[in-house]
Amino acid sequence: MQLTTRSSLLGALLVAAVLAVAGRAGAQVLQLDTGHTVFYEAPTKTHMLVYSPSADVQVSPWSWIDVRGGWEADVVSGASVATKAGGVYGAAHNADVVTAASVHDFRNVGHGEIELKGNTTSLVAGYSYGTEHDYVSNSMHVSARTDAFQHNTQFELAYAHNWDKVCDLVQDVARANQPSLWQALPNSAGCFTSDPTRTTHDLAVDTYEASWAQSWSPVVETQLTYSAQLVDGFQSDPYRSVIIGEGIKAQEHVPTDRAREAVTARGAYYLRSIKAALRFSLRGYHDTWAINSGTAEAEFEKSFGENVRLMARLRGYRQNGAVFWSDDYFGGAPPLGQKGQYFTGDRELSPFWSALGGLRAVWSVQPADHRIFGFIHDFKLAGSGSMQWFSYDEYTLAGTPVANTFAYVGTVSLTLGF
Amino acid sequence: MRALFVLVLLSLSGCATVAPEQRAILADPTMQFDAEGKHEAPLRHALENREGSMGGTGVQGGGCGCN
Repeated sequence: MQLTTRSSLLGALLVAAVLAVAGRAGAQVLQLDTGHTVFYEAPTKTHMLVYSPSADVQVSPWSWIDVRGGWEADVVSGASVATKAGGVYGAAHNADVVTAASVHDFRNVGHGEIELKGNTTSLVAGYSYGTEHDYVSNSMHVSARTDAFQHNTQFELAYAHNWDKVCDLVQDVARANQPSLWQALPNSAGCFTSDPTRTTHDLAVDTYEASWAQSWSPVVETQLTYSAQLVDGFQSDPYRSVIIGEGIKAQEHVPTDRAREAVTARGAYYLRSIKAALRFSLRGYHDTWAINSGTAEAEFEKSFGENVRLMARLRGYRQNGAVFWSDDYFGGAPPLGQKGQYFTGDRELSPFWSALGGLRAVWSVQPADHRIFGFIHDFKLAGSGSMQWFSYDEYTLAGTPVANTFAYVGTVSLTLGF
Repeated sequence: MRALFVLVLLSLSGCATVAPEQRAILADPTMQFDAEGKHEAPLRHALENREGSMGGTGVQGGGCGCN
């Protein structure tokens, strides 16, 4: 109780000090953000509901430094595919071989970041720590940005490293070198404890990004970004099994190494006559699992008066499947059948395309000559909604195509500056 | 790759293509690629977990959240 009282007093003093400095300086020195997102989908046999709240604070005691900290979470409830089979096996047996299992998880991520700002450069360093019932993540990131030629050119380099741990079932010693005999993790009970039936696998992720942004005219801006990622470690879904032969159901097994790279070109053009901007984005992606994909996205955003912006978005996405992906490892004519030593039931590794449409509204107010209610420097309220539709070329649930492949994402966020 | 290199050189040797007093529109939020980056982050996170690709939206991340 004493600790709580002391913490509350310290917190109140800190806020009062920041507000006092803010009032004296006449500039924003404290920013609070909160966001709330809901994701929902209910395709055949499965469903998923995710609520993601977040809260962030940024303190800018001097013009050359920002200090940020925050928290976000995912509250997950739903059902996902526990045993995957394809059409050949489904025809020989029955569609009920595909089973779903309930999913309940709670992801918490805390993060902190510091940014040092000069006239033409900025340096950022940050760290985040995340936990789930079956996953622990540590992540650090650094980035450097510089402007040149009267701010017409910007270069940015960024790097992040994750060292994560994934929970899994301890396999029978006699089966340790035979992935086709491994069993899936039944649930997350006992994960990250001394439970002798649970173990953890390492997963390291290195992400690199370099970008170049250029202003070409008073109404044209472009950005070119190269991204690369090296993933090393356990990348399977530990809960998912795949039927790979008569009477053989094994935990899915994918390579432990994956190198990924993408090039993204973005452009923005301002239409003076209607006070609106047209933005586009094209991305090409390739990885060592032989997934190639292309993404095209267009956004149209128009200002209404000084404070309101409305944005509409269309996005199309297409990928081929991983080289080892098959809808049915039990057999069948190509493209079905075994694809080497690996097997997965992951629909995100199958060939498919998707389309997304969305809207976003932003209301922001920043009075030039006074503070709102005497202490708020500025505020911004934003709301958005998106709907995505998937079309799977080959993925089935024991021969039954997946229907109702819609996913919905809605977000509201509020930013207050003091 | 050679064309890209030439493009970069041209842009750099061309120096300032927009004078400071002409940058008002470029500074408008509608012309920023990530003006609402924090608001959009959950959507990008969902897309990365429903598709087999990544890249182009920054390097930060924490946790899996990939159910």
